[in-house]
Amino acid sequence: MFAKQKFIAAALSGALLASGALLPSVASAQEDIKFYFPTSVQGRLALIMKEVVNEYNSSQDKVHVTAVYTGSYAETGIKASAAMEAGNPPAVAMVGANNVLDFVQKNQIEPIAGFLAEDGSTATQFLADFWPGVHANAMVNGDLYAVPFQNSTPILFYNKEAFAEAGLDPEVPPANWKELIEMGQKLVKKDGDQVVRYGLEFPQQVGYGNWILQGFVMANGGQYYNTEYPGEVYYDSPATRGALQFYDDLAHKYGIMPDTVTPSSQVATDFFSGRAAMMVSSTGGLGNVRDNAQFDYGVAFVPGNVRNAVPVGGASMVIFKGQSDAQRAAAWDFVSWITSAEQLGAWSRVSGYFAPRISSYDLPEMQAFLEEHPDAGVAVDQLKYTRPWYATFNYLAVAQPMGDALQMVVSGKATASDAARRAQEEADKILAPFNNSVGYPVE
Amino acid sequence: MSTNASRKRSLPAMLLFFIIIGSVTVIWSGPFLWMIIASFKPQTFGGLDMASLAPNFKPTLDNYRMALMSAEFGTLYINTIIVTFGTLSVQLVTVVLAAYAFARLEFRFKTLIFYMFLMQLMIVPPILIVPNLKTIVSIGLDDTLVAVMAPYFASAFGIFLMRQTFKSIPRDFEDAAVIDGCNWFQVLRYVLLPLAKPALVAFSIVSIVAHWNEFLWPLMVIDSPDKMTLTVGLASFTRAAEGAADWGLIAAGTMIVMFPLIVAFVLFQRQFVSSFMFSGIK
Repeated sequence: MFAKQKFIAAALSGALLASGALLPSVASAQEDIKFYFPTSVQGRLALIMKEVVNEYNSSQDKVHVTAVYTGSYAETGIKASAAMEAGNPPAVAMVGANNVLDFVQKNQIEPIAGFLAEDGSTATQFLADFWPGVHANAMVNGDLYAVPFQNSTPILFYNKEAFAEAGLDPEVPPANWKELIEMGQKLVKKDGDQVVRYGLEFPQQVGYGNWILQGFVMANGGQYYNTEYPGEVYYDSPATRGALQFYDDLAHKYGIMPDTVTPSSQVATDFFSGRAAMMVSSTGGLGNVRDNAQFDYGVAFVPGNVRNAVPVGGASMVIFKGQSDAQRAAAWDFVSWITSAEQLGAWSRVSGYFAPRISSYDLPEMQAFLEEHPDAGVAVDQLKYTRPWYATFNYLAVAQPMGDALQMVVSGKATASDAARRAQEEADKILAPFNNSVGYPVE
Repeated sequence: MSTNASRKRSLPAMLLFFIIIGSVTVIWSGPFLWMIIASFKPQTFGGLDMASLAPNFKPTLDNYRMALMSAEFGTLYINTIIVTFGTLSVQLVTVVLAAYAFARLEFRFKTLIFYMFLMQLMIVPPILIVPNLKTIVSIGLDDTLVAVMAPYFASAFGIFLMRQTFKSIPRDFEDAAVIDGCNWFQVLRYVLLPLAKPALVAFSIVSIVAHWNEFLWPLMVIDSPDKMTLTVGLASFTRAAEGAADWGLIAAGTMIVMFPLIVAFVLFQRQFVSSFMFSGIK
């Protein structure tokens, strides 16, 4: 008993000593700023991001950036927002491109125009060097609030060896939904009743699954959400019902994809192991596929129906309010550096995301890279079909009912029409407070 | 208890009993065994029987090497140990004193205050993130290990558990001690605590496991890499939504995080189990 007491006392004093030693660090002559970043491709990128920040820190001696890894996109958004409300915001954060609207509504981030004016530039001049597809998510009500950093779109990956085995031309991937169904059926391989290879898989968890679905809805001619007003989603519209029906048919009528919900980790694992002949996945995973596919693979546009259309995804840099003038300047210096054509190009090459700056692709390193990896070029070519990522009031909550709906359709628990109607009703309820406060209130 | 009962039963009944117990054991330990085996398998993305429980013929330490390379484990371990045991040591003091007050002392609004403590159990922790963070920042503790521990210095669960335990101890023991000249602290120290030891151990286990595994609050409050805990430092493995799941690496990372707890459990298994039986937590 005595020994235990002594142990507790020792542990207690040890804890206090250690915590005393680890109290807030002392400020130095340099301007210290914090930078929150998530990673959503692979853990490896978190390490590379730290190297990039170290490179910035050693390239000059006015600013010192501390890079803080903050989990997923959603966790980074929560942490940055909570830190802001607690009065201790990071100077810079990399946030999901469709999260920008949320920060603007909470009045937490600085418009970029102010920084540009100090440099003698304007938002229009600044954006001219960025792909048109990434503009909308960086702007709110016509003002620029974010600098795009890493961007992606859904893209079709296919296993050329599986195509050859199924008697299909490995150089001709499906171009539209009709071909997707025809080829998909041929690619399915069965051992008795057991499916050993599915024709197609794509991520279906809430969030990622919504993003992929948005692509199919837009390819079916729809809008998915009101791009000009954050209080409307088109969940129960003909184009959305059609896309959900397509999911239903792929899973149940044709048996091209599993009739259970497939999260992204399973989709990629199945593609690498040959259990899925095609997958629709983010271009952000290009680097990952390049490293891990043990077979000859091809990359193609996501097949369209009415038209070709894909949503843009990825993350942007935002600068938080509540900084001193010196910190503001330091934050902008860092953001300008890390979003330069050279840095964006380098990040694109290691990660697989496409670089949002057009001029990144004029650099010799980038041209050599594209020559060596034509798959990265397909992602760039598809940019002409990109549209903004859904961004609404309270977007995480609004995404939930549609995420549930698509999962119910895939697992055969609801028809496309029922699922769409229910998702619309729930989303409308979540959007009602916004509509009643901004628009003309409805009883 | 059931083994005593089965001893009197016939052979077929005993066989059935062992078959049931045996299959439950296999089902429950399955995922854990799979994790151990997967952590030694080379990366194959499900191609080469990743789901199989049979060990690979060429075990590899690559997964552990990768996992160890990705973070400074020494620092992460030390921080996690400081947080877990620092929290526990403060909790033991506050919980025992508060529980003693609620169990034995008479004061105004005692029941009301006790119920208010219990209400804390019904609040979902994520709701408290912003208010707690505001408090931490306003007292200048943000980005310190103390900030990770501070919200847990009092534990409603612990107070409830210890109060019930103290109440179940007959007053006669204390009265005898008081007659012998003990003051309230000596009564607590030499009479109540030794009798409540199993409950204290049970509470300590729950607390240690909870704080060892905690993720969201440390992620919110810690910015400096040298102050991160194991769960936060290792999160980059599992938060890779766009890549394929590297099960071997995830398994190895999880093993590294769990290892000290597993060793502790194996060493003190007998005491743990008897504590849980005694205190009624299962």
